[in-house]
Amino acid sequence: MKINASCVIIGAGINGCTLAYELALNGMKDIVVVEKNFIASGATGRCGGGIRQQWSTPMNIKFAVESVHIFEKLDEMLNYKTEYFQGGYLILAYTDEEVNQFEKNVRLQKSLGLEVDIISAEQAKKIVPRLNVDGVKAATYCATDGHANPFYVTQAYAQKAKELGVKFLLDTEVHSIVTEGNNIKSVTTNKGNINTDTVINASGGYAHLIAKMLNIDIPVKPYRHEILVTEPVNRIIDPMIISFYHSIYFRQELNGGILMGQGDPNEPSSFNVEGSFPFVQEVTSKVLKLMPCLKNVAMVRQWAGLYSVTPDAQPILGPVGDFEKFIQVVGFSGHGFMLAPRVAQHLSNYIINGNTSYEMKELSIKRFENAQLNVDVNVV
Amino acid sequence: MRFLDHPILDFNSKDKKLVSFTFEGKTFNGYEGEPIAAALHDNGIKKLRISPKLKRNRGLFCAIGKCSSCLMKVDGIPNIRTCTEPLKQGMKVEYQNIKGDLPEVMS
Repeated sequence: MKINASCVIIGAGINGCTLAYELALNGMKDIVVVEKNFIASGATGRCGGGIRQQWSTPMNIKFAVESVHIFEKLDEMLNYKTEYFQGGYLILAYTDEEVNQFEKNVRLQKSLGLEVDIISAEQAKKIVPRLNVDGVKAATYCATDGHANPFYVTQAYAQKAKELGVKFLLDTEVHSIVTEGNNIKSVTTNKGNINTDTVINASGGYAHLIAKMLNIDIPVKPYRHEILVTEPVNRIIDPMIISFYHSIYFRQELNGGILMGQGDPNEPSSFNVEGSFPFVQEVTSKVLKLMPCLKNVAMVRQWAGLYSVTPDAQPILGPVGDFEKFIQVVGFSGHGFMLAPRVAQHLSNYIINGNTSYEMKELSIKRFENAQLNVDVNVV
Repeated sequence: MRFLDHPILDFNSKDKKLVSFTFEGKTFNGYEGEPIAAALHDNGIKKLRISPKLKRNRGLFCAIGKCSSCLMKVDGIPNIRTCTEPLKQGMKVEYQNIKGDLPEVMS
């Protein structure tokens, strides 16, 4: 195999596929996406599928709000049924500190144009009548939040990208990136070389390994996050429900299955994506307290994927190190799926026109040189 | 109908205890511990579920608790695999509504 490419995107997850589509749509030719396994085989296909705008940093909020505008017309734009559903997000507060933080978040979110409110436990119960609100001090609710099927969304973007001429090399693993001075010359894979001067790192949980190929350290670490899903039941929950206090989230898929996940603060950084039994016990006992009616519902499947976590839970966008054309779209810290549509537009504008947007400056790797980081605390 | 004798298999029918249960409000008999679906078949009930998407009748299919074809509401709980769930005295067996309405459970 010998190919000349104007750019090589490493990773066919949500960020690789949205960027391939945006670049091709804006006139770039000879784009190649290299993927070790298959489309959405990594973190994207393993994620909870939530699309939330209720974050605590301006950049996460902005990208999420603008991505929702894209999600709202995505099925029409890409001619694909992505199971996008705006059932809202209900975030529960159990302590006074949480209530204070949520009030701060809502003020910031409203200032950026998001329709979101602090509501009482009684109002939360009106939205999800089966919810046990014992101990809930307040909640925040945003009706335009929602979820979509991550496989379908990624396929939809990949399909359109292919129609626009993007080449996808699946089952192809990047071994090294060949450079000369501060310029990239080619990408070496297990199936041959690709000549290119531009490499985009969209490799999710493996992002730091790709950067290491150019002797660059990026502050991104992989962490396992586990999920399970139950058998389908008739609709009982519209919104995604989050409790930071219990470190859990759950929602009902369109087919009726209840999907639930947990953030474990003791999870070490690793590439482990095995499901574990303790997770099943912990997450089900926590969710049962909030939704006692799920008592006799059978679990059908569990799995895990990698969050690629940065110190401030915000992505790293743009070039790093001495290589101007080694561009990162990494470190989404568990919310890459919901930010990707808008992030890809900023990056494609940068790659094609050389425009560095305000958002890209804010999320450049240079921010980690500052002692004061603006950390997003709204993460499960 | 029910096989009471078989040239190879031994059903031990004589040792089994006959119990009563209800299906859609009507009272029937079956042997304690046999699959609920077996007791229903013995009483002539072969339609166990309505398929969620196309709303077609579904009967016993895999018979090993795998296929979702025999999911019914038993004692108020939906999605019970009646092909593997043992019959007990006084059980209330009903058709379930599509994918099953969950009962209220107090925390």
